[in-house]
Amino acid sequence: MALTTAQTGLSRARRGVAPGGAGRPANRKSKLTAQTSRTFFWLLLPSVILLVLIHGYPLIEAGVQATHDGSLIEAGNFVGGENFATVLSSPAFWKAAQFTLLFTIVGVFGSWLVGLGLALLLRTKIPAGGTFKVLLLLPWVVPIVVSSTAWNWLVATPDSLIPSLFRNLGLGTPLFLADPSLAALTVMVFKVWVSFPFMMMMISAALASVDSTVYEAASMDGATRFQQFSQITLPLIARSTYISWILMTIFCVNDFPTIYLLTGGGPVDATTSLVVLAYRTVFQDFATGPGVAIAFLMTMTLVVVSVLLYRQIRKSSVE
Amino acid sequence: MSAALHAHPESGPVLGVAGPAKNRRVLSEAGHRGQWWRLVAILAITAIVLVPIMVTVVLAFTPGPTSTATGFTLENFGSVFSETLASTWLQNSLVTTLSTVVVSVAVAAPAGYVLSRGRSKAVSGYSLLLFVMQSLPIITSVVPLFILFAGMGLVDNLLGLTIIYVGSTMTVATWMMAAYFDSIPISLEEASWIDGCSVFGSFTKVVLRNSLPGILSTAIFAFLLAWNDYLVAIVFLRSTEIFTLPMGVQSFFQQNQTDWTSVMALAVIMMLPPVIVFAALNKYFSVGGIGGSLAGR
Repeated sequence: MALTTAQTGLSRARRGVAPGGAGRPANRKSKLTAQTSRTFFWLLLPSVILLVLIHGYPLIEAGVQATHDGSLIEAGNFVGGENFATVLSSPAFWKAAQFTLLFTIVGVFGSWLVGLGLALLLRTKIPAGGTFKVLLLLPWVVPIVVSSTAWNWLVATPDSLIPSLFRNLGLGTPLFLADPSLAALTVMVFKVWVSFPFMMMMISAALASVDSTVYEAASMDGATRFQQFSQITLPLIARSTYISWILMTIFCVNDFPTIYLLTGGGPVDATTSLVVLAYRTVFQDFATGPGVAIAFLMTMTLVVVSVLLYRQIRKSSVE
Repeated sequence: MSAALHAHPESGPVLGVAGPAKNRRVLSEAGHRGQWWRLVAILAITAIVLVPIMVTVVLAFTPGPTSTATGFTLENFGSVFSETLASTWLQNSLVTTLSTVVVSVAVAAPAGYVLSRGRSKAVSGYSLLLFVMQSLPIITSVVPLFILFAGMGLVDNLLGLTIIYVGSTMTVATWMMAAYFDSIPISLEEASWIDGCSVFGSFTKVVLRNSLPGILSTAIFAFLLAWNDYLVAIVFLRSTEIFTLPMGVQSFFQQNQTDWTSVMALAVIMMLPPVIVFAALNKYFSVGGIGGSLAGR
């Protein structure tokens, strides 16, 4: 529903209809416009102040810090691109970048596939379907601090519930958080567990707006279920799929608690993402310049990516 | 011919109508048979998915290692409140979160109105700016803000925490409000303008009054974000009596031996508010709303 309302808003904007509406007498319109822009200014002011304070100023200041050798206490001297050179030539940065990329890809597509599967399952009439829908949202609603505690209890030590279960089944004792590649996998599975409800909700909303008669027509024409899925369902939810991928990419790249609370970035940095690396560089190694430089590099990448995506979304919604 | 069709709906495939009718019956039969495995599948998946949450709840009511109680017990809750600062943490979390919710909506609603009704270059530029800012990692702002706030005495301070939460929820909150305002017909406002109402007057008296679902869904979003935050809290909070719940829960892991039953009791306390808010107000909140507000505008 929210999608359609937003679209109406946009179609109004596209037609270029002013807030006053079409066919309004010109003199009244101009009087109203002067008053309107004054009101608009005051309505927008608190938001602008906050944006400058919480987003604008820190962004500029981060640029300054990234080019200085300061600490949390003193500003330090200007060192130009030295911090960036340090960061870009350190293997830890590239390792973290690589992990962030993998984490994001698995996080986005893993949660999308699970969310899609469940949304399709829940679309048909199932007894107590509504209850299942709410229950399945819980991983997304429950705070990460709580769920990471539970996951820790389940997998952290060799005597935790799930490793013992594996042992009793004769499958050995997997060290979910101590073995580097297994820890990376565990963190990604945890991320998918946290994120799939978001995808499920996005896809369910999109599926709800698909007219079911389309399927009847298709099955009349002899389309198989798979054909119906790939040629009707997927294209019809493409737009919201696209949006959900974009949002989830941003969520995954910026994620801190999911990783940090489960593994702290370890073992041997196997699960250190760029955000975790930036955090540790600043607050544990007290190297403010390089730490901010890492965050700044991420930020610049995301600015470019999100401006491109914003354009793409606007274009796709005009089509 | 059509009369014949109606008179003899089952008169055979030659008429070309029995085909779909038969197909539909087959479909619904398949759907009926399908329900069985679907229900089993969804039951199994839900059970597996909820294991971590069930574990949390069960452990919270299980007697601790030093306890003499057996079976179901409430003593973990008692001990977590008497032996730790849990009640302070809960209070800190409530104060910060509720202030964030109120101020976020108060800032986002007027700004969202301008985004929804304004059609100038400046307004669409601002809208792009909000989109870009919401996608940026908080870690970038955190260090400069830490230094700025340290000079103002806002580090290790709930007011400082709240300001950052309001700032970081505000971007998406504004988009959500704007998307909702888009659904309120302009004609309602025009009528009030003709009656001599100002733009501000029509915003508060006409638009806001009809926006309860939009306001609620924005409020839930701000609530979840502030209540669940860990990154800002870990950077800005230092002393245990200023901790919010996420920091409080984490403080259990600093000791050598984690007291699992107590930490789970606190975890249950921490997850209750979002679960209750979500269960009660679920119908107002659609993730599609967030996605849609980002996409449609």
